[in-house]
Amino acid sequence: MLSSTRLLRLGFLVLLALAVAVPAAAQDAAVPVTGLSGLSLRPYQFVFLAYALAWLLVLGWVVAVARRMARLERRLER
Amino acid sequence: MPSKLLRVGGSVLAVLGVLGILVLHWMVFFWTPTEASMGIIQRIFYIHVPSAWVAFFAFGIVALCGAMYLWLGDERLDHAAVSAAEGGMVFTTIVLLTGPLWGRIAWGTYWTWEPRLTLTLLLWFIYLGYFLVRSSTENPERGKRFSAVVGIVGALDIPLIHLSVLWFRSLHPTPVVMKPEGPTLHPDMLLTLAVGLISFTLLFLGVFLQRYTLAVATHLAAVREREARS
Repeated sequence: MLSSTRLLRLGFLVLLALAVAVPAAAQDAAVPVTGLSGLSLRPYQFVFLAYALAWLLVLGWVVAVARRMARLERRLER
Repeated sequence: MPSKLLRVGGSVLAVLGVLGILVLHWMVFFWTPTEASMGIIQRIFYIHVPSAWVAFFAFGIVALCGAMYLWLGDERLDHAAVSAAEGGMVFTTIVLLTGPLWGRIAWGTYWTWEPRLTLTLLLWFIYLGYFLVRSSTENPERGKRFSAVVGIVGALDIPLIHLSVLWFRSLHPTPVVMKPEGPTLHPDMLLTLAVGLISFTLLFLGVFLQRYTLAVATHLAAVREREARS
């Protein structure tokens, strides 16, 4: 079974891959429109990455506290 | 049992915080208007500023509880301080990661040694020192006292971070919310920011209470084990 740390790492890598791949795929499918040639999707990637990183860090803190709590409960049961 | 009450209270606050953040995401991506000069990248503002606020709030708790611990010597104050410091580190890290992403598009660089960025990085390192001091001292009681002093000194950096944009030449804009003549932010943007501030605070308080009960329970378990051995 995957440990929480590995799950977190895996989740982080998936989000990073999505941050790069999804806007790139959208760019490939988009039809170029006159007047919008200067439009860049890069800021969207950065916004997505910023929100993903914030979620990951908060989730990491919550998981770390929950794991320590579970470990302590196991210790007290013994 | 107070610890059970704190855990339940913490869970309720954390869930409310998460729900608030979900609403915030809807507001940020579907409701609030796009800022005219910076465009879409300005939407990082709605997590960057609440994270900074929560980090300052957390380090304020660290300093207050640290000072009270030095004065009264009550272990619970140290538990509260270390729990808040952990949250403060998490949210300062968010500030230090989201800021450069915003800066890369808005300023053309991830990092520059301007006063506010430098002082925020310094704050992060001070609180890293807070944990290092605790873990590297052979006598735990001495470690707690040293870290309380580091926590108090670290909090002195917070007003400097806030005022640095007024005192020094800075790439950061001057405050748009906390100013004497009132906020100069579009009302929809202000409401989105308010939802962010409330949600992040609730989430922090929720996890902080859980972390505090963990610290208390760990301490009690250690005391009980020591008594059983002797």
